[in-house]
Parts: sequence; C-alpha cells; structure tokens
Amino acid sequence: MTHAEILKIVEESLVEIAGDEILIAGPIAMTTSFNGDLELESIEFVALAEKLQQRFGEKVDFVGWISGKELDQIIGLTVGELVGFIETCLA
Amino acid sequence: MSSLIANGLVHHVQDLGTGSAVPVVMAHGLVIGSLASWFFTAGPVLAQTRRVRMYDLRGHGRTARAPSGFDTRTLASDLDELTRDLPVFDLVGHSWGALVALRFARLHPGRVRRLVLVEGPLPPASAIEMTEFLAAGPEAMLESLPESLRAAVASGRRQAQRLVDSVIHLVRDTTLLADIRTEPEPEVTPLGGVMCVYGDASSCRAGGERFAKAIGAAFRVLPGGHYLHLDARAELATLIVDHLDG
Repeated sequence: MTHAEILKIVEESLVEIAGDEILIAGPIAMTTSFNGDLELESIEFVALAEKLQQRFGEKVDFVGWISGKELDQIIGLTVGELVGFIETCLA
Repeated sequence: MSSLIANGLVHHVQDLGTGSAVPVVMAHGLVIGSLASWFFTAGPVLAQTRRVRMYDLRGHGRTARAPSGFDTRTLASDLDELTRDLPVFDLVGHSWGALVALRFARLHPGRVRRLVLVEGPLPPASAIEMTEFLAAGPEAMLESLPESLRAAVASGRRQAQRLVDSVIHLVRDTTLLADIRTEPEPEVTPLGGVMCVYGDASSCRAGGERFAKAIGAAFRVLPGGHYLHLDARAELATLIVDHLDG
C-alpha cells in the first residue's frame, strides 16, 4: 500500500469520525497536525485509532505506538507520522 | 465504535489487552473527562498484562447524552450493566469516577477485587467545591487544566467550542450540578484492597487523606494537581500496576 493510499484512508476515517467540518481548512496533508490544525478531540483520536485498527488489523499496534510517546508528542502528532507508522507496520 | 447499552443508553466502550491478570475497569471524571483520560495514560500500561475496559460515562465523550443520572448510584448501575460479561475485576476511577467506583464496590463487594481511587473528591473537600468549580464556567475550568492541555484548547476554535458546548450542555441542560450537590457522603467503614492517590497540589488531597485513613486504605501522593493522570502520567500508571499486582 502506498503512502498516498494510506493517507486517503486516514482522511476518510477522520471524516467518518469528525464529519466534513474537519476538512474546513483544506485537504489533509502529511504535515497536518491532529491537534493544532484539525483540532481533533482526544476522544475522537481514540475513535480514529479504533477505526484504523479495524481497517489495518493486528499488524498495526496503534495503542502500543501511542503509549510509547510522551503527552506532548501525542499532542503534536502529525498525519505524516501516523501514515509513516502504518507504512512501516505494513512493510 | 464499540458500544454497550446500559440503562437504555448507548455507551462508548474500549477494551484493550488480553492478558491473564485480573481485568480492570477504568472510570473517568465528570465534564472534562472521557475514556481518553485513561486511553492516553495508564490504560495501555495496564493492558500489557490484562484486559482493560474503559468507557465514556453517560453524557460524556461518545456516549449518548442523558438529561439526568449523574449521581453515583445511577452511574454505578450503568457500570454494573457495562461489566456483566466480566469475571471479578479491579476498578480504577478518577475524580467523580473514583466515587462511582467506590459506590459500585460497596454495592457489589463480590465483583470487585481491588480499587484505585485517583483524586476522588471526598469529604470535606467534596461536592460543594465541585459544584462551585463547575458553576464557575468553562473559563475557570480551563484555568485548572494542566498547561499543555490548556494551551492546546485555548489556542483552538474547534476544540474550545466543543468543550464549551459540552460544559454548557451538562451544566444547564442536565441535573449534573443538582446530582453532585445532593450526593450523599460515601460510607466510611473499612474496605479492603483500596488505594487512594492524590496530587500534592490538589485541593482534594486533605479530604482524601482523612477518608483513606478512615476506611483503612493505602494513601499515596504524587507530584501534580487534580488531573494527576496527566501531571504524573508514568508514576501513576506504575502505582496502579503495583497496587493491582502486589
């Protein structure tokens, strides 16, 4: 699966969880941050992790990945970091 | 979304982990809290060795809104319905979630093995302070958040708006404040297997210390305020694991 395909899935999942309003500032890019740019709520991020887990299966351990990060790293997380993580797991 | 129904309300539930240790159920605090409080803190640490169930309380997070039922008896009844499929489990609660956990353990002593009460607003620093805090409005609540979260929320439009909407809904459109105000003080009789944890800078600490002594619970203090799961994220997770596995 390519970078672009994973990005597309992340974007679709975000819209399913938070609605179209999440794209109000423009399309989601690799540099988009979940907190600063999208203003995703923490509970929405939980829902996103669950959705992506269902989509990609056990190869991708979102909870383990997130729990290994400091809080400020989680707050500063970008779409690109998430896509890169998924890509690595699927490789 | 993983969901279970309790008292007719669809609750958002997340289960993590499959280990063989006694399962644990984690309850969050009112208004600002959601299951994310635990999902990004101690939840995954506990899930390394056991099944962890986290859920959004009624009217919070992605659980359905409810006009009433924020008293600990009703919330303990929700908890009862959300855990029917579990064997004996441990319970961890933050703030009001700690009082719900305590109430549940008193009502169902055979179903709970150990309890961790984090920053439970116990007498005398309890319900009255909490209602004043909530009635003071979103700005005052934001002020009490840890710096990292406050900056994130205050800098943004969407998050701030959603938080304010949620606070206004809970405070104006539900019985939440009245439920807190009329909540009876918890029973003060010895209870085994309990650990109470407070922040050294928390206004709940003094009441918690007296309560812990009165029921014979272990009492621990970590550096931080009321949102101790954020202020002392790693230390709190370690304390909880040690208490549950010790």
